[in-house]
Amino acid sequence: MALQGIWSGTISFSLVAIPVQLVRAVAPGRISFHLLHSTDYAPLARRMYCPQQEELVPPEEIIRGYELAPDHYLPITNEELESVSPERSRTIEIIDFIDMAEVDPVYYDRPYYLVPLKGGEKSYRLLAEVMRQTNRAGLARFVLAEREYLVAVKSTQGALTLITLHYSEEVLPVAVPVAGESAAGGKDRIKGSIEKMMTEFDPGKYADSRRAKILALLKTKAEETGPVTAPQTAEEAEGPPDLMAALEEAIRDLKENR
Amino acid sequence: MNRNIVETAGNRLALSNLEKALYPAVGFTKAQVLEYYRRIAPFILPHLRDRALTLKRYPDGVEKGFFFEKRCPSHHPSWVQTADVLRDDGEQMNVCLVNDQATLLWVANLASLELHVPMARTGSPDTPDAMVFDLDPGVPADILDCARLALTIRDLLSRLGLVAFVKTSGQKGLHLYVPLNRPETTFEDTKEFSRAVAVILQKNYPDLVTAKMAKDQRPGRIFINWSQNDAKLTTVCAYSLRAREEPVVSFPLGWGELEALANRGDARKFRINPGEAVERAEKDGDLFRELLVKEQKLPHL
Repeated sequence: MALQGIWSGTISFSLVAIPVQLVRAVAPGRISFHLLHSTDYAPLARRMYCPQQEELVPPEEIIRGYELAPDHYLPITNEELESVSPERSRTIEIIDFIDMAEVDPVYYDRPYYLVPLKGGEKSYRLLAEVMRQTNRAGLARFVLAEREYLVAVKSTQGALTLITLHYSEEVLPVAVPVAGESAAGGKDRIKGSIEKMMTEFDPGKYADSRRAKILALLKTKAEETGPVTAPQTAEEAEGPPDLMAALEEAIRDLKENR
Repeated sequence: MNRNIVETAGNRLALSNLEKALYPAVGFTKAQVLEYYRRIAPFILPHLRDRALTLKRYPDGVEKGFFFEKRCPSHHPSWVQTADVLRDDGEQMNVCLVNDQATLLWVANLASLELHVPMARTGSPDTPDAMVFDLDPGVPADILDCARLALTIRDLLSRLGLVAFVKTSGQKGLHLYVPLNRPETTFEDTKEFSRAVAVILQKNYPDLVTAKMAKDQRPGRIFINWSQNDAKLTTVCAYSLRAREEPVVSFPLGWGELEALANRGDARKFRINPGEAVERAEKDGDLFRELLVKEQKLPHL
């Protein structure tokens, strides 16, 4: 299956410009479930509820508000939000090169692959190779899904990958007091234990066992009990009473005056 | 592969395999497909404008396989306008916008015979600017039954103060459109309203109409498909070719003409071929132009 790109453009720095496509490097492995009504297996819908007026709120009455203080909101319109949305990026312009080892994984957000497009293969391979040898990564600003990200472009297994990074204000302070004395003695024992358990990192070894178990459970259940069926009410359901009455009246009139 | 480079409005476009018969039964070639879209461009472009195009490509002609393509092919020329739309899974998808003749011809050159578009524009993806009823006859019901039902729906809607427009689907049925063009309209509104219309017609004409998707409900009845009033779904664009044995156009009709055709009782007369489509559009103009501008509010919601 061909990889589906979510963005295409060029990656550039100084005089180099390489046409590339951005594709996802990870797919969420999570198994998702629908919420059903236990009595009739109808899939449930989310509705917005106003606790003040004790009623459901239609979409046209829903706006956004930023909480300034408890019970004090600043209403913001979609237009206002759009006015500060960044323009979609055409290029990934590398502004600095850094040593990737300096970036703590706590800054890593989401990984993507950069795939060379026609005509860019050679310069792509050259850049990937040099970055691998020097263990350097490029930093760039990049707009994806209406958000501007700081991204790192690095070399992984001969390919260029792009990792969106968290901004420093998103990273929470370390939650453990790190200063102070460590336990006396035992340092060698811990070092020894670590050495004994050292191995090469092989991600293939560590499967998501809960996912595998859920899939096995689903397979067994599907074979043993089969699915339940949601009621076909969506098609049978009447519309809003006002509309149904108006339509009934119109159709009566139509039958009489044709 | 033979290639021809053409220039349209300053944009260079490489056209390929012009001699290939995309409709082999009648020998209608890719060159003729491109010529059709070139001539119909002034009429179809306003209806494609700023809508996420779904390509339906027949690389080896209508008798061979096809595939849908929602993403804009990544090798598109730089002058092709695209937009990012959000998919259900939260991922972005880059789609083609057919906003000019060059893009229309580029898309046709990809053997995308059929052009399908959603009811909303990419700038306001949650605002349908029209409501659609897809009237699909179950054999032995035919397009004449569809035409009579379309006239009933027109009359029903007009009693609620709504104006509607109709086009042939280019296949077996008709598409009825109700212009809305109001920023507050949601797909929930159009779905609820169109479903109510379908349900009421099924209730009053149970032998003729079904509002149910299930195939076993459909023999001899017309399925009023209201479910295309959905942000995720598309309907074939007015003036698009259809991939049948022969090239047929999804073509707007006047209500007077539809009435006459229904009375004449010749189902074949609903089949508008590309030559006739161009000739009629150039003579009569776009019968669907009001669909893009007329503002109407769905009552009783």
